[in-house]
Amino acid sequence: MHIPDGFLTTRVALSLDVISAAGILFAARRARIDLSDRIIPLMGVLGAFVFAAQMLNFPVAGGTSGHLIGGSLLAILLGPMAGFLTMATVVIAQALFLQDGGLIALGANIFNIGAITCFSGYAVFRLFKGKSGRDNRLAVAGFLAGWFSSVISSAFCALQLGLSGAVPLQIGLAAIPGYHMIVGVIEGALTAGVLGFLSRVRPDLLDTNGAGRFRGADWAGALVFIGMPAVILVLAGSSSLPDPMEKLLIASQSHVAEESALSGIDFLISGTIFTLVIVTGFLLAFIWRRRSRP
Amino acid sequence: MRHNFIDRYSSLDSPLHTLESRTKLLAFAILIVGVLSIPTDAEAIFFSYLFAAAVLMGISQIPLGYIMKRMVVLLPFIMLAAVAAPWKGYAGFGALAVRAVLCLILLILLTNTTRFAELLCGLRRFGFPQIVVINLGFLYRYLFVLMEEAMRMKQARDCRRVGRAPLTEELRILSSMLGTLLIRSFERAERMHSAMLSRGYSGDFPVVAPRRFSWHDIVFLAGTSAFVGATIWAR
Repeated sequence: MHIPDGFLTTRVALSLDVISAAGILFAARRARIDLSDRIIPLMGVLGAFVFAAQMLNFPVAGGTSGHLIGGSLLAILLGPMAGFLTMATVVIAQALFLQDGGLIALGANIFNIGAITCFSGYAVFRLFKGKSGRDNRLAVAGFLAGWFSSVISSAFCALQLGLSGAVPLQIGLAAIPGYHMIVGVIEGALTAGVLGFLSRVRPDLLDTNGAGRFRGADWAGALVFIGMPAVILVLAGSSSLPDPMEKLLIASQSHVAEESALSGIDFLISGTIFTLVIVTGFLLAFIWRRRSRP
Repeated sequence: MRHNFIDRYSSLDSPLHTLESRTKLLAFAILIVGVLSIPTDAEAIFFSYLFAAAVLMGISQIPLGYIMKRMVVLLPFIMLAAVAAPWKGYAGFGALAVRAVLCLILLILLTNTTRFAELLCGLRRFGFPQIVVINLGFLYRYLFVLMEEAMRMKQARDCRRVGRAPLTEELRILSSMLGTLLIRSFERAERMHSAMLSRGYSGDFPVVAPRRFSWHDIVFLAGTSAFVGATIWAR
């Protein structure tokens, strides 16, 4: 989900901009040391691949269509650092070309769609793949990587929207990841399918020992990188930190919506309505795209 | 194959198009932060921003219909916020929607009045890491090639498939297609890289004749900052 401008408060959006910029700088520095010259055009072309692959959608029940996000796939193929850099460029390009996601919200989108999908997808893949590298293990690990990365990144998206007061936090946290638990199956299946195809046709590409190996320090760095925003977001959403931009930030209505009035059945109903509306939105967008096609 | 929807109007020749890319990046970022900080109940300020956006739209010479069409990307999010409206109050929802629309107009104006190579040049001068800027450059250059490849594959699939297959079969077909596209991308990258090396590629792209920072840029930047400053102060 690409968050447009206007849905995050300035405080949440700018703090994620800073975090993503730091992540990109770190990954770029690591990349310059680690990656061979050869992989740089490869990253650019794979970025274009993700862009093009997202056009290859296919019909899912109910008129919506599904396509690959690609973060976990890239992380598995290129290693998480290069994968993250590539996904970051894809997200920037989507904002600049297609206006998918806003300019100030770019940091949030890079974080959710780039960092979270790549690092969580890669971690889950490594966890489940084991040493054997048999085909069915590969498929299972690929599926879980795709599914988890989709659900976790949507949870972060919901958290940011909730803390900005665009949607009530509880509803958001129930509905957005809930929806992605279903949609994530497609991401998982496609990741597994592509990995299976590659292992039959070009098994040499799956041999990621060369470029961008992850070391212990990098795992720690990735954990901090993913954990830190959760802390900062909670701070940014709930407290009134005194800072020079106070006047600007207070004005961006940084109060969190009151969510205590909701519970139990309310919670379920609103979650369901919420999911339905998201589905309707996708449906309308899909119909519009169908009609605008030549 | 129609894929020129990406930056169709970026090489027009309006006053906005001829500004330097750094000016536009900075000015539009300031404007967007200004929009984000409009309080919910300040109708006058909303209208002044709408007026400013309309003026910029007029200057840019981008067809109105195109901008309206691009607005559709906001639809899912507007719906999402609409559901939360009963809890937040409809005034809050209205302000949220107007803010989002304003930001989107500004973003459309920024990206459609600046050629991509210039935008990259601006990002580089702002200190973006070189590897990211080079990657964006590659992405832009090969996007059209790969999109055409993807569209051809899609057309081929749609020609061979009558009606609809069960979901598992669809997924299997699509993952082989994606795999094929991926392998072709890999191989294209390898060919490109050796072609580039043999032509003397040294790790950077030279920029041909970037625009100069002139007094127009100073006026535009000063104007937008003054406008945003005034709206924040007027509250």
